[in-house]
Amino acid sequence: MMKKKRNDILVTGSILTSVMLLMILVGLFFLPYDPETMNIDLKFAGISWRHPFGCDNYGRDIFTRVMVGAKTTLLVAVGTVGIGAGAGVLIGAFTGYFGGWIDEVLMRVIDALFAFPSILLALVVVSLFDSEKNQVLSLLFGSGKYQVIIALGIAFIPSFARVVRSEYLKQREMDYVKNAKIMGCGHLRIMFVHILPNILSVLVPTLMIGFNNAVLAEAGMSYLGIGVQPPDASL
Amino acid sequence: MKYVGKKILTMCLTLLLVSFLVFLCFTVIPGDPALAKLGTEATPERVEALRKEMGLDRPFMVRYGDWLISFIQGDMGKSYSYSLPVKQMLADKVPITVTMSVMSILIIIFVSIPLGLYVAKREGGVADRVIYAVNQVIMAVPPFFAGILITLLFGIVLKLFMPGGYVSYTQSITGFLGYMIFPSIAIALPKISMTVKLLRSGLVGEKKKDYVRTAYSRGNNTKGVLYKHILKNAMLPVVTFLGMTFTDIIAGSIIVEQVFSIPGIGRILMTSISNRDYPVVMAVIVSLAATVIVINGLVDLIYQWIDPRIRLEEQS
Amino acid sequence: MKRKALSALLMVVLSLALTLSGCAGKRQGESTGSQITIGIPQDVEDSLDPHKAVAAGTEEVFFNIFEGLVKPDRDGNLNPAVASDYKVSEDKKTYTFILREGVKFHDGSLVTVEDVRYSIERCADTSEGAPLVAAFANIVSINTPDEKTIEIVLAESNADFLAAMDTAIIPASNETPDTVAIGTGPYKFVSHAPQESFVMKKFEEYWGEKAHIDNVILKVCANADSIVMNLNGGAIDMYARLTSTQASQLNGQFEVLEGTMNLVQALYLNHAVEPFNNEKVRQALCYGVDKQYLLDMTSDGHGTPVGSSMFPAFGKYYMPQLADYYTKDVEKAKQLLKEAGYPNGFTFTIKVPSNYAPHVETAQVLAEELKAIGVTAKIELIEWETWVSDVYSGRKFEGTVVGLDASSLTASSMLIRFTSDSSKNFINYSNPEYDTVYAKAETSIDEEERTKAFKECQQILTKTAANVYIQDMAEFVALNKKYAGYEFYPLYVQDYSKLYIVE
Repeated sequence: MMKKKRNDILVTGSILTSVMLLMILVGLFFLPYDPETMNIDLKFAGISWRHPFGCDNYGRDIFTRVMVGAKTTLLVAVGTVGIGAGAGVLIGAFTGYFGGWIDEVLMRVIDALFAFPSILLALVVVSLFDSEKNQVLSLLFGSGKYQVIIALGIAFIPSFARVVRSEYLKQREMDYVKNAKIMGCGHLRIMFVHILPNILSVLVPTLMIGFNNAVLAEAGMSYLGIGVQPPDASL
Repeated sequence: MKYVGKKILTMCLTLLLVSFLVFLCFTVIPGDPALAKLGTEATPERVEALRKEMGLDRPFMVRYGDWLISFIQGDMGKSYSYSLPVKQMLADKVPITVTMSVMSILIIIFVSIPLGLYVAKREGGVADRVIYAVNQVIMAVPPFFAGILITLLFGIVLKLFMPGGYVSYTQSITGFLGYMIFPSIAIALPKISMTVKLLRSGLVGEKKKDYVRTAYSRGNNTKGVLYKHILKNAMLPVVTFLGMTFTDIIAGSIIVEQVFSIPGIGRILMTSISNRDYPVVMAVIVSLAATVIVINGLVDLIYQWIDPRIRLEEQS
Repeated sequence: MKRKALSALLMVVLSLALTLSGCAGKRQGESTGSQITIGIPQDVEDSLDPHKAVAAGTEEVFFNIFEGLVKPDRDGNLNPAVASDYKVSEDKKTYTFILREGVKFHDGSLVTVEDVRYSIERCADTSEGAPLVAAFANIVSINTPDEKTIEIVLAESNADFLAAMDTAIIPASNETPDTVAIGTGPYKFVSHAPQESFVMKKFEEYWGEKAHIDNVILKVCANADSIVMNLNGGAIDMYARLTSTQASQLNGQFEVLEGTMNLVQALYLNHAVEPFNNEKVRQALCYGVDKQYLLDMTSDGHGTPVGSSMFPAFGKYYMPQLADYYTKDVEKAKQLLKEAGYPNGFTFTIKVPSNYAPHVETAQVLAEELKAIGVTAKIELIEWETWVSDVYSGRKFEGTVVGLDASSLTASSMLIRFTSDSSKNFINYSNPEYDTVYAKAETSIDEEERTKAFKECQQILTKTAANVYIQDMAEFVALNKKYAGYEFYPLYVQDYSKLYIVE
């Protein structure tokens, strides 16, 4: 009974996800229209067979732009969570595992980061990573995008670090960790080979919520005018 | 006592770090307060004179030291753009943002905990599935869009409030609170979904544990077990989440304040960052940081209260 | 039991919310008398000192509180205000003003020649390096032969000096002008809560035609999406500078008035960098743009195409024919690029201040148009403050789309920025011919000769394709039909004193 219902949710979710991924995948090779070409006759054109979502204020096909925008948004989400979770796990692991002064210092830095408005962070990142000076990054993510990714990524570190730290605090007292120590495993090995797989059950949901938050945060940044640069589309 | 003393010391150190980082930011980001103020009418001479007046001609460390000393003495300086004391400016704005945050956290607690219990109890039922689906949708709505939707629904269609018709608390407390309900809902909505989801999965997970069976076998009824034992254990991640949410609301009120035309702390922060009005930015961020740190401390205490196994002093 | 308690609590909260929200539906009542609530795009982020305030948003509000010896009207003429009459000597070196009788400050005291002298001297003071009003550097002496006469003597003749005399007259007795605003205008300052409201009250003892509405409340509506909602919901009665899209979303309660922004929107090019130091490249860009198409795309065709650094409100100086100097011709543009050594086009970056949506839109359409001639324009949105420091002051840019307006209705305020050594010459335009013609215009006393020279300046700018000139943008003002009397000015000001309530 219960199993069946769980699957419902899983199936719905998988279908939605695969539709989105398929759209992005198709968008990499084929787009119905050029996402940037303007057409005055199609300004605010309504929904039609040729333009299933209608056209925007420049007469650009919205469906095409959604396809492109989905890619951008996915990129931002993956990049943001990548940076945030990467750094967050490292910091959380070290602080949680070792405790002591490392914990104190790093967690204070994390607290400081948490209190730091992401808008200011974004401005700093934008000025530090000037697109003209960072050709590599621009090529990798497209100009204007990676700055958003870096800023959001940094802003996401604290939440990951906190979650991971509290898990490490719990796990380090467990018997298997003590046994590993007795067996002479190095700290790094214990931290990342032994403990990390054990906290995945907590980390994975956090990552998923992180994706969700990253997408929303990017939308918020665009709303405040610090988003992806035009004519790039983002959802 | 020793623990509290240590906490306060580390808190002060964090604040010091935050203030230094913010100060450092200003040297990194483009834009100069004097230039920002004078705009396109700026002549090199006037910019120079204004920079002197603002004290920007002095070296970085001297400026920071000066700021720190006067801040410790309780003087937050004077706003560059408004020529008003920062303290006075913020004193007017703090009640607005605090009211909004408290209101939304109350809404979150009073809606999501009963709702979480309800769906957990009817796990797998129609209500559970409907709420699950609604939750998924709400979580995907960006805060500014939620704000716009709420304005449209409650403001334009139902006419429960006037969009943009913010009423100052100095004029009418009821009018002020009445207006603030709607932005608070906009903030609370996505957080409610998250809390319900967290609480539900926590409750469902705990339900299968041994102690629950023990409790049942001792003859407790379903409600007693659910409220007394399971809820307490399932609340742990929820409390963490709510603690983060509270800080999130305070630090992230910028967007909702923008949508609802509320002149709160977020708005002041946003405009002073873009005006490069450093005294105001410094004061706002340091106070925000202080609030965040205090709340994190409180969350730690609540943790300990819920689960005495977590000993906080342990790691000294 | 507990669940019941919880649901009861929920009910209480909900009903409280509903009662409270009923209260919020009412309009805030500031004080007695008629009132209008006006939305403004940015706060009056300045001190209340009219001489030190510089933001355009501040100046447009201060127009109602402060006045100079003369005051511009909606046709751009300078009329006597605090002065009742003025005389200009033949050589344009001596300006004599007669103080108007019985003009009172908002604190009730009479305006004296000493107040006038104080105000002018304050703005001419060079102890900080440069005077607050640039034109006042020219003043040799300020004489007050009797209690009604002020005589200002200049070192060099200046036919445009009168325009600078709209400098606010403030009382010498006010020791804290940055926090206490005392002027002579039709409205007096009441209170200012940062980011919240700026309140003004009608000045009953105003010397001229008194204002009609008792209280004016300015509210900051910074967000483009909420402006329309705030108007339709009734929170604000008026909003100036709407875009055509916003104006089309308003409901039937509003009258939409169309005027002009009085600025020159252009793709300003930095002449100090490659390839824009090449005249042919700049001309190619000009040939690559169809102004009317751009207007159709961004503002449903509203706006006036311009071809040089001057907008229609300037009347006799404005040359409408220059707008058609370059008409879109892709082949010619490509030919010019080839001659300049860029047969395959090039790539450059347009920096646009992100808070000005119309400029961002124009830049996007421009970039799209330039693709046809093989030029790739990348758009970089930056903050306004970054624009001021990097683009304007630092001159670090390739191209930028903004609108430049006039600080006063003198041709020089638009054209001085293109002289080689002007501190405002952020595009690094350098043309000896232009400098000569401009100097001739500036110093000439003969009106006809001046006008001719200023027109020649504009022609030079057009011919050398100094910038890709686009338009003077259309301005839409939404005014609730309960009110009327809005007047457009050729300057960046808002005159609230002319507004009245329709019976």
